[in-house]
Amino acid sequence: MEFIVVGMTAGVLRGAPVTTVDVDIVHRRIPENVARLLGVLAELDAVYRHDPRRLRPNASHLLGPGHQLLTTTYGDLDCLGAIDQGKSYEDLLPQASEMSLGEGLSVRVLALSALIEMKERSARPKDLAVIPVLRATLDELSRKR
Amino acid sequence: MKVRPHEVDGPAVDPDIDENGVDRAQIRGMLQLTPEERLLRVEEFIDSMIAIRKLNEERPVR
Repeated sequence: MEFIVVGMTAGVLRGAPVTTVDVDIVHRRIPENVARLLGVLAELDAVYRHDPRRLRPNASHLLGPGHQLLTTTYGDLDCLGAIDQGKSYEDLLPQASEMSLGEGLSVRVLALSALIEMKERSARPKDLAVIPVLRATLDELSRKR
Repeated sequence: MKVRPHEVDGPAVDPDIDENGVDRAQIRGMLQLTPEERLLRVEEFIDSMIAIRKLNEERPVR
């Protein structure tokens, strides 16, 4: 399945000492990938988290650029068709790299520099608040190299 | 068996606060962990917060 981990989970994976209660991903919006994603979402019992009817996402939802805010048996999961003024999976791919999560599992994760730029552009108070920590993490990473 | 992050922390380190109020020692500690261990650390923290919240839920007065 093709997706990129973005948001604060990307920050955590890159080493920032921050917390988050959901996972944000930008998925590739082609029918084959969306079908695979729907299969995983069904296994996770994913439903829209702000809808009391427990509606499930379908292919047309996931093929669009909108944000599907879901809750699953393992917690909240946001499947984002596009972020940061319309950037798709393909647009973000050059700014992401694979990280190993052990046991043969690896995921594509947005680079810390790209995450910082997005938070700066967003300029929401909650995004601006975390930028000093993300910048300091990037600085510590550059010192390690 | 997976190693939990608190088991690889080592001795406590003094904070190293920079001009923006960010604890650089905390960051360096995170960077010593693998990505998987970083996620587990956040998971442990969130679990702890949920447990504390539950302990502090209002109980009916007897």
